[in-house]
Amino acid sequence: MIKITDLEKFYRTEEVETIALNKLSMEINTGEFVAIMGPSGCGKSTLLNILGMLDDPDGGSYMFNGAEIAHFTERKRANLRKHNLGFVFQSFNLIDELTVFENVELPLIYTKVPAKERLSRVEAVLEKMQIMHRRNHYPQQLSGGQQQRVAIARAVVNNPKLILADEPTGNLDSSNGNDVMELLTDLNEQGTTIIMVTHSEHDARYSHRIIRLLDGQTVLENILI
Amino acid sequence: MFRNYLKIAWRNLMRHKGYSAINIAGLTVGIAACLLIYIVVQYETSFNKQNKNYRNIYHIVTQSVQGNDVSYTPGITVPAVPALRTDLPEATIAAMDVSYGSQITIPAGSGHADKKFIEHSGVVFIEPQYFDLFDSEWIAGNKAVLAEPNMVVIDKSTAIKYFGDWQHAEGKFLKMDNLIDLKIAGVIEDVVSNSDFPFKVLVSYVTLKNYPNNYNYSDEWGSNSSNHQVMLLMPPGESIESVNARLKVFSKKHYTFDIRGTFNFLQPLSDLHFDTRFGNTTGDHITSKATLFTLSFIGVLIIIMASINFINLTTAQSVGRSKEVGIRKVLGSSRKQLVFQLLGETTMIVVTSGFLALIVAKLALPYLENISSVPKTMGLLSAGSVLFLISTLISVVVLSGIYPALILSGFKPVLAIKNKITAASIGGVPLRRGLVVAQFAISQLLIIGTLVALNQMNFVNSADLGFNSSAVLVIPGYTDSLSLQKMGQFKQQQLQKPQVKSVSFISDAPSSDNNWASNFYFDQAPDDVDFTVFLKAGDADYFKTFGLQFVAGGGYAPSDTINQMVVNETLIKKLGIKNPKAALGKTLRIGGRGVWAPIVGVVKDFKTNSLREEVKPIIIAPGKRVLSLAAIKIQTGSLTQTVAEIQKLWEKTYPEYAYNGYFVDERIAQFYKQENQLALIYKLFAGVAIFISCLGLYGLVSFMAVQRTKEVGIRKVLGASVGSIVYLFSKEFLILLSISFLIAMPIGWYMMNGWLQSFVYRIDLGAGVFLAAILLSVFIAGLTFGYKAITTALVNPIKSLRSE
Ligand SMILES: Nc1ncnc2c1ncn2[C@@H]1O[C@H](COP(=O)(O)OP(=O)(O)OP(=O)(O)O)[C@@H](O)[C@H]1O
Ligand SMILES: [Mg+2]
Repeated sequence: MIKITDLEKFYRTEEVETIALNKLSMEINTGEFVAIMGPSGCGKSTLLNILGMLDDPDGGSYMFNGAEIAHFTERKRANLRKHNLGFVFQSFNLIDELTVFENVELPLIYTKVPAKERLSRVEAVLEKMQIMHRRNHYPQQLSGGQQQRVAIARAVVNNPKLILADEPTGNLDSSNGNDVMELLTDLNEQGTTIIMVTHSEHDARYSHRIIRLLDGQTVLENILI
Repeated sequence: MFRNYLKIAWRNLMRHKGYSAINIAGLTVGIAACLLIYIVVQYETSFNKQNKNYRNIYHIVTQSVQGNDVSYTPGITVPAVPALRTDLPEATIAAMDVSYGSQITIPAGSGHADKKFIEHSGVVFIEPQYFDLFDSEWIAGNKAVLAEPNMVVIDKSTAIKYFGDWQHAEGKFLKMDNLIDLKIAGVIEDVVSNSDFPFKVLVSYVTLKNYPNNYNYSDEWGSNSSNHQVMLLMPPGESIESVNARLKVFSKKHYTFDIRGTFNFLQPLSDLHFDTRFGNTTGDHITSKATLFTLSFIGVLIIIMASINFINLTTAQSVGRSKEVGIRKVLGSSRKQLVFQLLGETTMIVVTSGFLALIVAKLALPYLENISSVPKTMGLLSAGSVLFLISTLISVVVLSGIYPALILSGFKPVLAIKNKITAASIGGVPLRRGLVVAQFAISQLLIIGTLVALNQMNFVNSADLGFNSSAVLVIPGYTDSLSLQKMGQFKQQQLQKPQVKSVSFISDAPSSDNNWASNFYFDQAPDDVDFTVFLKAGDADYFKTFGLQFVAGGGYAPSDTINQMVVNETLIKKLGIKNPKAALGKTLRIGGRGVWAPIVGVVKDFKTNSLREEVKPIIIAPGKRVLSLAAIKIQTGSLTQTVAEIQKLWEKTYPEYAYNGYFVDERIAQFYKQENQLALIYKLFAGVAIFISCLGLYGLVSFMAVQRTKEVGIRKVLGASVGSIVYLFSKEFLILLSISFLIAMPIGWYMMNGWLQSFVYRIDLGAGVFLAAILLSVFIAGLTFGYKAITTALVNPIKSLRSE
């Protein structure tokens, strides 16, 4: 599904140039559950942002389902993104002005799903995430674990082929964290490809494969199954 | 999708109630002000356009060149009318003679005594051809009746006023100025208010020929009254230049000897309402294009200010919204969708403001007549005003919405989600500063305008006119032989009252907007002097009544005819006489057929007209035949009571006339109606502008306060004083204020200096006004942000740090 070759990303500030990704190559197949680990600042989020088409690489190639993404216009990428990708963040990133229901509904609106169908799909996914009873609450009225479940519900409501999760358990206690990992595992078992950044060896063990980064380069890959 | 936008927009509004209120309040006031300005400008520019011949109607006017003096009058001589018909055969020509004050008497009839009405305007002697030019709806009769003498046509509401209904007016009689019996031969529909021809009593022009003395009607080429005007209709396609060329030939042919230098030319009907060279129009008022331009300019400035508030607050707020925008982008919203969403929010605010503005404008509309000539009955909604409102709303959305929308939607999602967008990183800070400067500059410009206009009007209203204008009552009377006979008796009876100090019969107060001009001869010379002299007639008590001061000689002895004269300093200066005493005994002759009479006194210059004009060379002479006004100087004190007594005596003396007295100083104040209105407009709109910019300033400072709470907390923990924090907040604004002053000052100077040029007597545009303007704006800005800055500075630092 994903094949990156010699991917590079630099950050230039006035004095220093940081190499966030240094000729990084890797391949991720459909249906895989991959964990990306590494010390702080090694480029994990950078990689995830590029994979999520939120950011451009400075060099190398990024093939998504056989298409070279590096040359896509922003419009094309946004289109690809909204139909194929789901995001889960450490800090949830829910829109404070919208209710739980409306937050989850948003991706369906952007993919022009009719209102009736939206209702049933959002309800189904809220049911699945066991957050249905909070559908009319606002994000600030929820606990961290509940917020993350809403965020995951929002990430999966469009049935994305790939879910990108950046430290999804980073702000949660271990019990809530385990709930989230179970949800991700379920999704993976139903066929969704998952790429997850994490600092937790415990969480990483839910995945099939751990890719370890150091200074923007792969240093090690552990195959778990 | 759309519902979702609305929802978010609404919740955003609610969540930031304060900012929303500021935005909406500013826009509401701005849009309402613009709408009212539109109504005024639209009203003034709509004058006369209702006539279907609008493009082809012209007013023939007169220019007189005498030496270096060029003067204009809307009038044209009586014999020019048939001559024009001969020389311009393809034109339709209509002559009229306007009366600026006539008494109409409805003779006693069944159940009522004589009914007397004073008509200050709308009474005219007019030719039937007028109706070939101007559209009019006849309810009874037709234009042909105006070909007969002693016929009159009145409009519907006048008919109702005189007779109670218009159905039975036709065939009845009325009396004009206690002189002319007129038969009502027709009734027309009322003329619309935006016409410069608001005629309501139209007397057949041929009637005039029978009363030449009473209406200054003369069929000589040399006599030109501004009341006698001619309109003409040219066939379509005729160019104004070619007609003017023919009029030049016409003028050369007919204006000869001492009236050579007189030229007729065409003034298009479309210019008539705006041409300030001509004082007396047949209408209620004229408006200079400059005034309309100033008004429109102020309107545009105000809309810009309201939009600036919006941009400032929205971009400042956008930092707080970056997360939402980032998430939406991550979820697949395209930039276009975001721009539409944000524009949608702007539209919502703007449309809300638009509705509120309609309400505000509706409430303010009745007061519009205080600052303009728009009638009270003017409606708010018309096709034009709705269109204007809609286009204003659209331009405000575009002006104020596009930039913030582009900024917000351009956020990089990765940064936006991480809350890495700061006020600095969106690059809006210099822009926001620029906008604040623009706003301050506009307010200061209007403050400068207000101060200058108020100062000048204050100067004008309290200027030393060179004579005593207070507590002088003037009663217009008539110059028929019977009235003239009663003069002496009336005067003696009034003088018996202890409160009456002096009584004089006059033709004209020292300061007035009448101009009675003539050529004149000096010191027995065969040729006339190369400048025009202006005449005022009065009996021997003229000087005492108005407190005129002599620099040489004294007043003349009582006389019914011109046998002695008094002149002013300007006249002898223009004649080249240095010492006023040297002028005494020299002789003057008014016009080609006047008599030579010696100068017996020279009066100190007094203001002969409004302060817009230079003091004119003046001759004051007796001449009983033209003394139509009684001027009565009253002891200040029991004014009302004395006036009532004077009125009683007047009515007893002249029972056939209606009393119509006024005070000279009130009439003089009328000269400056337009200017006083302009000063009021400046005051009003400067107020609006200040209000809007204060709102914006308050919003910005509140925003800054929120943004910098943490910084303020840290500073305070480190030992900063309240004062130093208030200074921190104020410093930037003071700098911006100073920059804006540097912009506003020269523009304000240029603008107001130009306006002052319309006054010959004017204030100096010194540093004082500008100093006052900046102090005022610093003071107002300080009031606005001082409170917020101080409260922020006073917050307990622990609190502000914990909130992070
Ligand atoms: N916007 C930016 N400007 C400059 N440098 C950046 C920027 N974003 C990231 N970097 C740098 O790029 C490198 C990789 O950052 P990245 O956020 O990918 O690290 P990470 O592996 O996700 O770290 P963490 O585990 O702490 O989240 C770091 O050295 C970081 O300082
Ligand atoms: Mg990271």
